[in-house]
Amino acid sequence: MPAFTEPLIKGFRKSIGLLWLLIKIIVPVSCLVALLDFYGIVDQIAIFFTPAMSLFGLPGEAAISLLLGFLVNIYAAMGAVTAISLTAQQMTILAVIIGICHELPVETMICRYTGLRIPVSIALRLTTAVVAGVLLNLIYTLVQGG
Amino acid sequence: MDIINLIFNTTLQTLLSIGKIALILIPVLMVIELAKHYQVIEKFTGKMKGFLSFLTLPEEAAFPLLAGIFFGIVLGSALIIDYAREGILKKRDLLLIGIYLSISHSIVEDTFIFAVFGANPAVLIITRTVLAIMITRIAAGLFDHFLRHQTAAATEKDQTVKAVRK
Repeated sequence: MPAFTEPLIKGFRKSIGLLWLLIKIIVPVSCLVALLDFYGIVDQIAIFFTPAMSLFGLPGEAAISLLLGFLVNIYAAMGAVTAISLTAQQMTILAVIIGICHELPVETMICRYTGLRIPVSIALRLTTAVVAGVLLNLIYTLVQGG
Repeated sequence: MDIINLIFNTTLQTLLSIGKIALILIPVLMVIELAKHYQVIEKFTGKMKGFLSFLTLPEEAAFPLLAGIFFGIVLGSALIIDYAREGILKKRDLLLIGIYLSISHSIVEDTFIFAVFGANPAVLIITRTVLAIMITRIAAGLFDHFLRHQTAAATEKDQTVKAVRK
């Protein structure tokens, strides 16, 4: 047996073990979020947060996209974006916010394995995303004003 | 029936996306095992020295960090779990990689999708990378300060106890 097959087999075995671990985390969480969506709870939360969107220079409807991004994933968020018309700048701001803070139920669970606790992870990403969104909106406004 | 369908479909979709992850994860882990075997890591990560030393991370952090940045947090974390099990990285380093990756990960795929919908890809990548570097550096500073403080306090307490015993 050539020398390089041993590390290849070891790598394959490891990846199967890790994939099983991922299945155990991701499948139940995504089912739970799908249920929340099914009972309209995701939509209700979206309406509640609508006034805050003006901080980012985004229309109220964008809240649904942000929340879908936070709770489900960026694909769901982009699905919601197609329903509203955004300028290139608004789209970039939205993308930066969702890019930093998305798929929280799944990703914070995964990040826990690095030692990053779930509440810390959520707080860190939400704060960073909000600060980035407000700053980008400010920068865009300043550039246009000047 | 609707709910059963929903759970079934969600499970199926999730398994499919994990299948997609598998397509990347399996070859990457195999390549990493090969790289370990032939000790390629030292040569490969030499180019990241400046970046890593700014973040106060050891060279061993390069692989999980790079994998997470380019392929996603799931893959990055999977490698981190693997590194943690083998005791290659310290707790502090794992946490810092976790912080960096939670802010900036899978920048190729994410940025591509956002760009399709009209976002500016350069702004996206620069903002996320700069923020991730800044926050990880600040976290490293705070963490080390806190640890040093704790160690100093422990030593002081220890000395006091010894003095009392005398």
